[in-house]
Amino acid sequence: MTRSPETTQNLGARLRASWLDLALGALGAGLPVFLWWIGSHTTTFVPPIGEVIRAIPDFVTGEDIWPDVLVTIERVAGSLAIALILGFAAAYVMHRGGLWGRVVDRYVGLMLGVPSTIAALLALYVFKRSEVGVYFVVSIITFPFVALTLLQGLRSADRRLDEMGDVYRLSTPQRLRHVAVPHLVPYTFAAVRNEYAHAWKVVVLAELFAVNSGMGARFARAFDRFRIVDAMLWLIIFMIILLGTEYLLLLPSERRVLRWRGSGMEGNR
Amino acid sequence: MTHSGEYIRVRDLDVSYDGITPAVSALSMDVAEGEFAAVLGPSGCGKSTLLHAISGVVQPQSGTIEIAGLPVGAGRGDDSVPIGYVFQEHRLLPWRTVAQNIAIVLRAAGVADDDVDPRIDHYLEMLHISKFRNTWPLRLSGGQRQRVSIARALAIQPAVVLMDEPFSTLDEVTARVMRQQLADLWQRSNQTIVFVTHSIREALFLAGRIFILTQGPARLFDTIEVSVPRPRRYEDPRLTELEAQIVEHVMDEWGYGANSGEEPRE
Amino acid sequence: MTTEQVVSLRQITGGRLQRFQAFTVASLLALAVWQLATLISDGWVPSLWRIMEALGEDASTASIYTDMWITLRRIFVTFAAATSIGIGLGVAMGLNRRVMAFFRPIVVMGLAVPDVVYIIVAILVLGTEESSGLIAMVLALIPFVVNIVVGGVGARDPGLDEMSAVYRLRRLRYLVDVVGWQVSPSLIVATRTCFAFAWKLIVLVEALSQPRGIGAQIYYSFRLLRPDHMIARALLFIVVLRLVEAIIFAPVEKRFLGWMR
Ligand SMILES: Nc1ncnc2c1ncn2[C@@H]1O[C@H](COP(=O)(O)OP(=O)(O)OP(=O)(O)O)[C@@H](O)[C@H]1O
Ligand SMILES: [Mg+2]
Repeated sequence: MTRSPETTQNLGARLRASWLDLALGALGAGLPVFLWWIGSHTTTFVPPIGEVIRAIPDFVTGEDIWPDVLVTIERVAGSLAIALILGFAAAYVMHRGGLWGRVVDRYVGLMLGVPSTIAALLALYVFKRSEVGVYFVVSIITFPFVALTLLQGLRSADRRLDEMGDVYRLSTPQRLRHVAVPHLVPYTFAAVRNEYAHAWKVVVLAELFAVNSGMGARFARAFDRFRIVDAMLWLIIFMIILLGTEYLLLLPSERRVLRWRGSGMEGNR
Repeated sequence: MTHSGEYIRVRDLDVSYDGITPAVSALSMDVAEGEFAAVLGPSGCGKSTLLHAISGVVQPQSGTIEIAGLPVGAGRGDDSVPIGYVFQEHRLLPWRTVAQNIAIVLRAAGVADDDVDPRIDHYLEMLHISKFRNTWPLRLSGGQRQRVSIARALAIQPAVVLMDEPFSTLDEVTARVMRQQLADLWQRSNQTIVFVTHSIREALFLAGRIFILTQGPARLFDTIEVSVPRPRRYEDPRLTELEAQIVEHVMDEWGYGANSGEEPRE
Repeated sequence: MTTEQVVSLRQITGGRLQRFQAFTVASLLALAVWQLATLISDGWVPSLWRIMEALGEDASTASIYTDMWITLRRIFVTFAAATSIGIGLGVAMGLNRRVMAFFRPIVVMGLAVPDVVYIIVAILVLGTEESSGLIAMVLALIPFVVNIVVGGVGARDPGLDEMSAVYRLRRLRYLVDVVGWQVSPSLIVATRTCFAFAWKLIVLVEALSQPRGIGAQIYYSFRLLRPDHMIARALLFIVVLRLVEAIIFAPVEKRFLGWMR
């Protein structure tokens, strides 16, 4: 056996493997489409794929959808920001412990179990059909998850501080700057990335119950009037925006900011 | 056996974990049936990797490994030679007791149900760990765990035993008792043992042949026959003399020659 | 999603007395804030007093218990289906590259579809029978379970896999004794998450499509503009859920995680 061709053979095998993976992935992604195709042939109300795809250009270029898309994006971003602030505050208090730490822990535990439907219905009562209601629902549902992720970050930063701070005798501001903050950044990213998708799903629900604008409301209206093609189009737009921003914006920026860390962080994902 | 001279046959072995940096490169060696072979090499040179490849858990980039004429590796059928492996780390199931850990591999090796318990007792006794029979591995010391791992490897009474520094975590006195027992056990059986160690004297005491590897990526540097008759004594002056010779012999090759200063040679 | 941390992190520290203290302060504070909200909103937010009354009323009607039972049964059915399918699929994906390559995009998409869409589509395709809502729930829950289980399987010790290969453990043995035990913490997280999400979802399913069940009752009170009853019914059911968790999940967890200590 000669040795150099072997390595190329090996490379070949690897390339083949990755092509196979890609092909299988494409097949997997095609499965929902296939189910849709079957649905359109066996039932009367599932529209044919072709019809929906042909409708996409008109739908996307129409003036009419973008205000609703934008208002939903605004709501997601805004309530996520609120959830982040609330989550930070809650995590900080929980981390400090004591009576108030335990009290906040109670609240976080309670909030984790609140169904978004109930939150949305309550918001309708309290805020009527106002914008505030949507922000309230989304941030109240997502903040406990943010709090728990950040709490985990604070705890592990603590461990680091104990290990390093004592050895190198850092002052408190130094500790914060060189250990605590860099350590919290990845956890903040994790919280944002996880809760981003969550927020999108909650916002749709809140819009469905509580307001007349936004993608969720439009989606529901399409269904109420039995305009299935429109509903499908809204779903497709929704998934493209959600997955697109997640994989093209959030993930790469996280990688960029965190590239100094090498491999992934422990305990998350 | 037709292959007795080359029962374990390693040819042009290349192993790499990431596909780029080699851990073992162009290594060839043969171990005869029933032989006790020791492997010496500097730390990180690829000794464990060699055992991994022989056991079939790591796929070589290229080259061949056969045991009793059968290729090892993926798809190692039931008819291939059974192997006992004392890994460098114990690799016990933490959620199973000592006895259960051994029982699991005994059952997998097809030992009849009635024989399982007596076998476990026998080997625990031999390694002086009977009293830990029903303890969980995480509650044992490093050396105790290592002995459980040895008991597990020997209990299936395999044709080939691979041992990766099995006694390195034991106190010297216990280690000596264990070495003596291993030597006795091997003489009574016809097992083929490949034994990785950092202790030259241990290799000399136990082995019929010592394979010395180069710095990583490992190639075969030299093979040394140990002709001291058995039973051997650990303190035998002949072993001391051989030990000094081997140290002298590898000094250059392992990167500590006169010209290379303190830095290992590239 | 991050519910993984729910189990590992929310361990309330401190002794019995301290926990009681925290509970009291938390409750009193919440009640005070609520009462304040009532005053400010002039009557839109029901007062504590009215909620208490509604609670008393609801707790003494027999039909509410039937509704609770119906909802509990639905939660259990979907929970059982989603965990078993999700765990099976997650383990298969974690162990086999091909399976992973095939299902990964489906799981990613599945996670991105809003729950409402699952439910509405299921109602459209399968009608308003009970089963269509439940199928939608199972479909919505599976990706979460899969996600957590895949993580657990992927984090297993490769050394033990190698050991199993050398000693030729049978497939079933390997799955149970080697993979199963390493994955068990993440299985517990997965089942917990699944249970919690099943409760969150059933309310939506029942509100949108069912005449009976606690979610339907909550929605019913909402439509009749009875927020006091809406809150009372939600509270009653939350108490029941907590009981179920304490009776079923806590002991199972203790048993499975015993070897780690
Ligand atoms: N799982 C792994 N992944 C990547 N590289 C590895 C892995 N295991 C070992 N290596 C690399 O392969 C080389 C050989 O390692 P190996 O464990 O075989 O050395 P060794 O001779 O057994 O060392 P020691 O005497 O310290 O046990 C080393 O350079 C090591 O960094
Ligand atoms: Mg080694």
